[in-house]
Amino acid sequence: MKNIPIIATREVKRFTTRFRGGSRAIILVILAASLLVSYFVASSGLTMSKGMYTVGVSPTGPAIEDSRFNLIGVDKAEGYAMLTRHSLDAYVDTDTVYGRNDDRSRYAVGALKQYLEKQELNRITEEYDLDQAYPLRIETHYLAANETTAAQGESISSVIGPTPAATPVPVATAAPGGTVTVTRAPVASPAPARSDAAVEAQLAQARNGTQPKFKAEFVSDNEIIIPSLMNPPVPLPQVIIAFLYIVPIFFISVFFTSSFMDEKTNRKLNILLSAPVSAFEIIAGKMLPYLTFALVVIVGVTLVLNGNLLLALAIFIPIVLFIFAVYLMVALFYRTYKDQTFFSMAAITFITGYLVFPALFTGVNNLSYISPLTLAVQMYRGESFGLVEYVFSTAPMYLVFLLGMYVGVRIFNEEYLMGYGPLYKKAGDAIYLAINRKHLFLSIALLSLFLIPAVFMAQLIILALATNIQQYFLMLIALLFCCALVEEIAKSAGIVMLLENRDIGSYKQVVLLSLLSAVGFLIGEKALLYLSLGILSNEVLIQAVTDSGLLIIPLAAHFVFTSIVCVSTKKLGTKWYFLAILVGTLLHTLYNVYNLRLAGVL
Amino acid sequence: MGAFWAIFDKEIRAIGKEKTIVLAIVIQLIIASLSSVILIGLMSFYDPSTIGQNTNIHLKIGITGDEYSSLVADLQQAHILTIYYQDPDDAQTDFTRGLLDAVIYIPPTAGGVSEMKLFLPQSDSRNTVILMVLKEPLKKYENQLRMADGVNVKFTDLNGKSSTTYEFLFSFIVPMLMLFPAFIAGSIVIDTLSEEFENKTIETLLSAPVTLADMIGGKLAASVFLAVVQCILWTVLLYFNHIVIQNAVLVLAMAALIAAFVAAGSALIALYFKDRERSQFVFSILIITVASLSYLAEPSPIGLITRLATGAPGVGILNVAFYVLPLAVLLIFIFLNTKRLAALKA
Repeated sequence: MKNIPIIATREVKRFTTRFRGGSRAIILVILAASLLVSYFVASSGLTMSKGMYTVGVSPTGPAIEDSRFNLIGVDKAEGYAMLTRHSLDAYVDTDTVYGRNDDRSRYAVGALKQYLEKQELNRITEEYDLDQAYPLRIETHYLAANETTAAQGESISSVIGPTPAATPVPVATAAPGGTVTVTRAPVASPAPARSDAAVEAQLAQARNGTQPKFKAEFVSDNEIIIPSLMNPPVPLPQVIIAFLYIVPIFFISVFFTSSFMDEKTNRKLNILLSAPVSAFEIIAGKMLPYLTFALVVIVGVTLVLNGNLLLALAIFIPIVLFIFAVYLMVALFYRTYKDQTFFSMAAITFITGYLVFPALFTGVNNLSYISPLTLAVQMYRGESFGLVEYVFSTAPMYLVFLLGMYVGVRIFNEEYLMGYGPLYKKAGDAIYLAINRKHLFLSIALLSLFLIPAVFMAQLIILALATNIQQYFLMLIALLFCCALVEEIAKSAGIVMLLENRDIGSYKQVVLLSLLSAVGFLIGEKALLYLSLGILSNEVLIQAVTDSGLLIIPLAAHFVFTSIVCVSTKKLGTKWYFLAILVGTLLHTLYNVYNLRLAGVL
Repeated sequence: MGAFWAIFDKEIRAIGKEKTIVLAIVIQLIIASLSSVILIGLMSFYDPSTIGQNTNIHLKIGITGDEYSSLVADLQQAHILTIYYQDPDDAQTDFTRGLLDAVIYIPPTAGGVSEMKLFLPQSDSRNTVILMVLKEPLKKYENQLRMADGVNVKFTDLNGKSSTTYEFLFSFIVPMLMLFPAFIAGSIVIDTLSEEFENKTIETLLSAPVTLADMIGGKLAASVFLAVVQCILWTVLLYFNHIVIQNAVLVLAMAALIAAFVAAGSALIALYFKDRERSQFVFSILIITVASLSYLAEPSPIGLITRLATGAPGVGILNVAFYVLPLAVLLIFIFLNTKRLAALKA
C-alpha cells in the first residue's frame, strides 16, 4: 500500500515532462482558444437544423424568428411562382401557409405549424386573461382496473359529485361545412379559481423549461392537465449540464490510458513490473493522480454552476470510477496504436450512450434511473430522489469498477500486456487469469454472477442495433438470437478456458461447473430483477420481462444449454467452441421463442 | 510517385489486417441506432401526434356528462371510439370490466372555463399511451373553446407532416455518418505518424528512396480513401433503409473534402508533437473548436451537407467548391514545410 503514493508521484512527474517547454504554451493557447470559441458559439445559440427550410413570407406575414427557416420576403404572386419553381419550400401569408404536395414542402409546413402554434400560444397568453387563454382544464383521477381492487379505488360518481340536474343545452353543433360553432349560455358561473393556480404553475414551468409537476399540491392531489401545455419539456439543458462534467473526465481518462501505452512503448513498464510493487499498487498509483484531477473538475464545475457539492460528488464519483474502469480495460487490452484509438472511440460511444440516453427520459419513465446522470438532471431541476434510486443507478457503476480493478490486477503481467494475440484470445486469457484455480467451482459461479452487468449492457446495445431491422418478426428473432449468444458465451467462456488450459478433465467436472455457472447467472439475474422491482412499477417490469425473455428463464434451461455448450466443446476440442456455442444459442433461442409464444407475444 | 503508392498500399493493408476498422464501423452503427432509438423514444413522449399518425392504437373512451359537446366529434375524428353513458356508475362498471380505456366527464358548458375530469387506469405505461392519443383532439377542443370565447387563434388548420424525424435525420444522423469517417481518418493519421516517430521507424523509412512528402501524402490519401469508402457505404445503407440522400455526389464530395482537411490538419499536429499522447489530445480539442467555428460560416459545412442531402433550394456545386480553398491552403502549407516541421523539437 505504501508504494501507491510513490507510483503516483512518479506518474505526475511523467505527465508533467510531457507538457514542458514550448509545447506547453501552444497547448494552453489552443485550450484557451477552444474554450473561448465554444463559449462564444454556444452563447450565440446553436441550432442543429440552421437554414434547413427556405420559406417565403409576405410583407404582412408573421415575424418568424427560428433559425431553421431561411426567410425570403416576397409578395404573394412571386411567392406562388417561387413555390411552384421549387425555389421555396413553403410560403406564409398573413394567416395562411401554402405548400406543395411533395415531402419536402410538407415537412416544411409541419415545422412551420409547430413553430407558429407555439407563437400563437405565447400571443394568446399575453393578450388574454388566464381563463380565456386556457379555457380547458382536465382533472385526472385513477381508477382501479380490476374488480377485486375496485372497491378501494375512487368511483366516478363520487368524483363528479351530484350530477347537476342536467337539462343539457346543445352547446355545439357541427355545421355541414365542417366548421364547429359553439354557442353558449350567458355567463352564469364565476370564473373558477380552483384550477387557475395549476395553470399558472404550469405556465411558469413551461417558461423555465422545468418539468411540469402536474400534481399541483395546493389545489388537490390530482393532476390538472392543460392540453396546450401538456408537453413535458425535454431535459436537454440539464443533460448538457451533466455533459459538462463528463467531457473533461473523458479527456483525463484518455491521459490515464496513454500513460500505460507510453510506458509500454519505452519499455519502462517492464522495469516497473520487476520492481517489488504489486500490480494493484501500480494500477492504483497510476490512477490516483487522474482520479484526484477528476474530483477537482467535479468540484470546480459544481461550484461554477452553483450546484449542491455533496450531492454532485455522490452522483459523479461512481460515474468517474466507471469511466476509469472502462479505460483501464482499454489500456490493458490494446495491442497497437490504432487499437487504442478505436477502443477509446468504442468506450466513449458506449459510455455516452449508456449515461446520456436514459437521462433524456428523466421524469417520463423510471427506467431512466439506469443512468446516474438522471440523478444529476434531477438535482439541477431542484427535484429530489430517494436512496433506492441512488443505489439502483450507481451500484452497477461501483460493481463495474470493482470488477475492472480485479480483472486488471489479475491480468497485469508482462506476458499478457505485451502480447499481440488476436482479440478473442486476449479476452479468453483475461477470463482465464481472473479465475482462481484454487477455488475453481466458486470462481466459475462468481464469474457468471459478475458478468451480469456486462451481459445486460451488451444486450442493451444489441437492442439498439436490432431496431435497424425494419421487419418486426426478423428483428425479434435476430434480437433473441444475439441476446442468447451473449448469455451463452458469458456462461461458458470460463469453463472452456479451463478446458483449453487442461485444468479440468472429466465430464463430471464439466457438468458440475455448468450447473454452478447457471446458478451464478440465475442469482445475478434475480438480483437485477429485485433491484428493478424497487424502481419500476410491476406492470412495466412484467412487460420488460416478457419482451426480452431475459429474466424468466429458469435454472434448468440455463443449466441444460450451458452443459450442451461445454460438454460438446470438451468432446470436439476447444477449436470447435464456436460450433458448440452456435448450437447452444440456437436451442436457447428456440426455447425463448417457445416461451414467447406461450406468453402470446409472437 | 511509386513511393507514394507503396505507402498508400501499406497503410490500407495495415488497417485491413488489424480489423479494428470493423470496430469503427460498428461504433458508427451503434451511434446511429442509439440516436434513432432516442428519437423514437423522445417522439413518443414529447411529440405524440406523430405516434398517433404512425400506429394503430384504438382507444375506447367512455363519455359522461355533456354528450353534445364538440369534443365528442373531435375524438371521433381522431379515430377514437366514444360511448356515451347517462349514468356514471355504468361507465365505471364497464371500465372495471376492461371494456373502456378511459372515461371523460364533460361538464355542461356554461361558458368560460371548462373543468373536465379524466379517469385513467392506475397503470403507468398505459396512461402515457392514452394521454398521447388524446392530446391532439383535446388541443383541438381547447381551441374551439377559445374561439367561442372570442379569442382569435390563427394557424390552426395547418396540416404538414411532423418534421421532427426528418430534421433529426438530416441535420444530425446524416452529417454524423458523413463526418465520423473524417474524425477516424484524422485519428488514423495521428496514430500512424506518431507511431513512426515514437518507434523511430521514420529514420529507416526515410533512408529508403521515400521522401517525407511521399510518406505523408500516401498516409493522407489512404485515410481519406477509407473515409470516402465508409461514406459511400452509409449512403447505400441509408438507401436500403428508405432514406434517400439527394445530390449524393455533392454530399460525398463535401464529406471527402472535410475528411481531407481533418486528415491534413492532424498530420500537421502529429508532425509537430511527434507523440501520440499530446497529438490525440490537441486533435480532439482542435476538432471541437474548428467544428464550432465552422458553424459560423454560412452555410456551415454541416449545414451544407444537410441542405444538399435534403435537396434544399439555393445550394449547389459552388458552395462545395468554396471549401476546396481552405484545404488547398492547408495542404500547401504542410508540403512546403514538412522537413522543417519534422525537424522541430516540441
